[in-house]
Amino acid sequence: MTRFDDLYTEADTFLHRLDPRVKIFSVLLLSLLAFVLSHLLSLILLLSFIFLLLLLARARYSKTLFALKFVLRFMALIAVLWPIFDPSGTPVLARLGPVTITEPAIWRGITSAVRVGCLATVWYILMFTTSQRDLVRALVKLGLRFDFGLTLAIALRFFPAFGSVMESIIDAQRARGMEFEKGGVLTRSRRYVAVLGPAIVTALRTADTLSLALESRAYGARKDRTYLRDLRMSGGDYVALSIAIALLVVPAVARFAFEVPI
Amino acid sequence: MTPGGEPGESVVTVDGVSFSYEGGFEALVGVSMRVRRGEYIAIAGGNGSGKTTLAKHINGLLHPSVGRVTTCGMRTDETSVANLARKVGYVFQNPDHQLFCTTVEEEVRFGLENMDFEESESAPKAQAAMELVDIVALRDRPPFTLSLGDRRKVTIASVLAAEPEILVLDEPTTGLDHHDSEHLMSTLRALNRSGRTIVLISHDMRLVAEHVDRAVLMAAGRILVDADVGAVFSDLELLREAKLVAPPITQVAHRLAPLGVSPSTFTPSQLVQQIEVLRGGGG
Amino acid sequence: MPAIQMSNVSVVYKGSKESALDQITLEVEEGEMLLLLGRNNSGKSTFCRLLNGLVPHSIPSTLTGAAAVFGKDISRGKVASLSTSVGMVFQEPESQLFCMSAEEEIAFGPENIAVPRAEIVSRVEWALDIVGLRGYNSRSPASLSGGEMQRLAIAAALSMHPRMMVLDEPAYALDPVGREELYSLLRRLKERFGMTVIIAEHGAEEAIQFCDRVVVLAKGRVLADGSPRDILSDETLFDFAGVSAPQLSRLSSIMRRRSLGTGSSIHTIDDAVREVQDAISTGGQEVPR
Ligand SMILES: Nc1ncnc2c1ncn2[C@@H]1O[C@H](COP(=O)(O)OP(=O)(O)OP(=O)(O)O)[C@@H](O)[C@H]1O
Ligand SMILES: Nc1ncnc2c1ncn2[C@@H]1O[C@H](COP(=O)(O)OP(=O)(O)OP(=O)(O)O)[C@@H](O)[C@H]1O
Ligand SMILES: [Mg+2]
Ligand SMILES: [Mg+2]
Repeated sequence: MTRFDDLYTEADTFLHRLDPRVKIFSVLLLSLLAFVLSHLLSLILLLSFIFLLLLLARARYSKTLFALKFVLRFMALIAVLWPIFDPSGTPVLARLGPVTITEPAIWRGITSAVRVGCLATVWYILMFTTSQRDLVRALVKLGLRFDFGLTLAIALRFFPAFGSVMESIIDAQRARGMEFEKGGVLTRSRRYVAVLGPAIVTALRTADTLSLALESRAYGARKDRTYLRDLRMSGGDYVALSIAIALLVVPAVARFAFEVPI
Repeated sequence: MTPGGEPGESVVTVDGVSFSYEGGFEALVGVSMRVRRGEYIAIAGGNGSGKTTLAKHINGLLHPSVGRVTTCGMRTDETSVANLARKVGYVFQNPDHQLFCTTVEEEVRFGLENMDFEESESAPKAQAAMELVDIVALRDRPPFTLSLGDRRKVTIASVLAAEPEILVLDEPTTGLDHHDSEHLMSTLRALNRSGRTIVLISHDMRLVAEHVDRAVLMAAGRILVDADVGAVFSDLELLREAKLVAPPITQVAHRLAPLGVSPSTFTPSQLVQQIEVLRGGGG
Repeated sequence: MPAIQMSNVSVVYKGSKESALDQITLEVEEGEMLLLLGRNNSGKSTFCRLLNGLVPHSIPSTLTGAAAVFGKDISRGKVASLSTSVGMVFQEPESQLFCMSAEEEIAFGPENIAVPRAEIVSRVEWALDIVGLRGYNSRSPASLSGGEMQRLAIAAALSMHPRMMVLDEPAYALDPVGREELYSLLRRLKERFGMTVIIAEHGAEEAIQFCDRVVVLAKGRVLADGSPRDILSDETLFDFAGVSAPQLSRLSSIMRRRSLGTGSSIHTIDDAVREVQDAISTGGQEVPR
């Protein structure tokens, strides 16, 4: 099963090779762009651009589908709800009791839905093409304290392992006749204890060894620390960053300085 | 605590079973075997050979992708795990994955409560199970503060309390020292003598050789051999293919086969007996 | 300078009345491969954790007596500073690997002591090569098999270029062939680099064949200390320590009791074959001693 912490797909595309810091910035810039653009067509153009990038990132079909499922549901929800709660504008298309549906509200709903679609899918580009360790590395390089970065990395590393521990615990209790489907409030709460209790004990035992292992490998030995893999910007990274900046600045200037309706 | 039923009748039938985990990894490939009532068998093989996966099919925690498994006359894919739990006691590899009660006694009674036993019934059953594995003195202690050996015993007692017909134990001696693992093995031996069917998962070939009647060797999701322990140890190459190593005495016996020593010699005393016979005869 | 020097060393954990280690006096030469045997709770892990200062610096406990590793006083040295001479491998492979790739796992120690990057790169390759995981650089530790994880944990300690490796029940959960591979890897470390290797186990069957010296612990005390040959010839010792006696040692003592064979001690399969052959061929006659 695909999970949100498992979207990264190994491949060798220019998006994979980009410095993760550049990717984080560019994704932020493109997100801002979705707010600068107000015209439905330009937003659809942006969305298509994002999809083109996803295509270039050679995201695996099953993972894309899994990720898009959530976005599409959310987009549909916005497109449906917006006209119901926004009665402004004419012509009025329908009146159902207190609800007034107008044509501009429908367009505004669709526009917002596409904007939200852009905002969500643009982050998938980052998730699909950047491994967790590169993300953590970028955050540390951008100023996150190393020990916070390490904590984050450890959490990400043990998250799936913890999932299989939970599965094993549930199996162990089922093997003793516990049924997860039936029972009243009391038996239900007991079931939570039967799963969470061993989970916590197991996690604590793991954490215990983990802290000994960290220390045994000289963690915190000195203030300065070297890094096996360092991030260094290449020519391509600067080009990509410039393009991303231009993509935001040009439309922003056009819209706010020259009042071009885009 | 003797379970009913005919000895020799098949209690577990695994019939042409293949199984793939989510993500497509095929952990069992065309596995067939059966366990008869009152047998004491071992499933042995290297890490990742599919032992645990096969064992989880016996009590329906996993259902075959292809083929079928019948336990005590019930198709496992048509019966709930809770129902099968009355017939099959399953002791997990890691005791920390199941202990959660505040006292050992509650832990031992947890399974009985799930099976809707009355208080008046469950108390003596729990008592009997605790006596069997020798943890009565620990009854009021919180399980997670006990040593690994004692935690393991608690999980075994908690499964024994329901008096299952079949007992499946997944590597119950890992982490236990000699004293505790010998004690556990003699408890299992006694349970088997009183009619219980036992399936032991282990890669400790010395334990298998000394205690078990029949062994199923697995490698890469397939059964390599399924035979009496004597026959299994007659082929050292096959053992190695299963990432197993014969006990030293068996290796010595193989080297001495030309002198008439039987290759299915597992313990020092068996070997010495043969020496005495052979030198008497050769004299 | 000896690798380990202990004189009258005792360790008491905080909140406990009994000593986990009790009056230990012991010296281990550099380059020795030592098997530490003892039943559950005999003090093996405590001994291991003392060697890089986890006891008493990180795990609340008090240390009395004089304990030194490569001449460094353990009661003064910090774990981090001892960790450059002592590499530590724990029992469960999963919980001691915390990085997202094998190479980062191996680089973690050297990074912490600010080894220059080029040097780290070569240490990573070197360590992967020794443990037989070449090409595993970007594999996630979580995706490895139990045996591979344990070898990665060893590589991660080796990259600090320690003079001593300490392994606390490293073969736990490995299949027999995996165990053999692990012990022979450790033997190689000793032979190729003159490393001191300390292995704690509660069964002697497999590991004893690979070691130079055996120390048997019982209730925190040294019960016996000698060569594998000495230890193996004393079967009562194993019963006394609650450790499973290797089969060959049992064979040796039964044969001696019944005056079979030449009476020399049985250490290896070859020894046993020779002894049994002798016993069978000499027929009913008593062998003169
Ligand atoms: N939940 C799971 N998801 C995917 N693959 C799994 C899962 N559990 C086990 N496997 C894989 O199935 C194979 C068989 O695993 P299994 O646990 O049955 O082996 P085993 O013989 O019990 O090994 P061990 O001696 O290490 O306990 C292994 O390759 C393992 O990686
Ligand atoms: N962190 C701790 N706090 C308090 N007591 C401890 C701690 N760790 C171990 N002990 C106690 O110290 C004694 C020696 O334990 P140790 O873990 O060294 O034994 P061991 O030989 O490694 O046992 P095992 O084979 O079970 O791993 C035991 O009585 C144990 O209960
Ligand atoms: Mg298993
Ligand atoms: Mg220990």
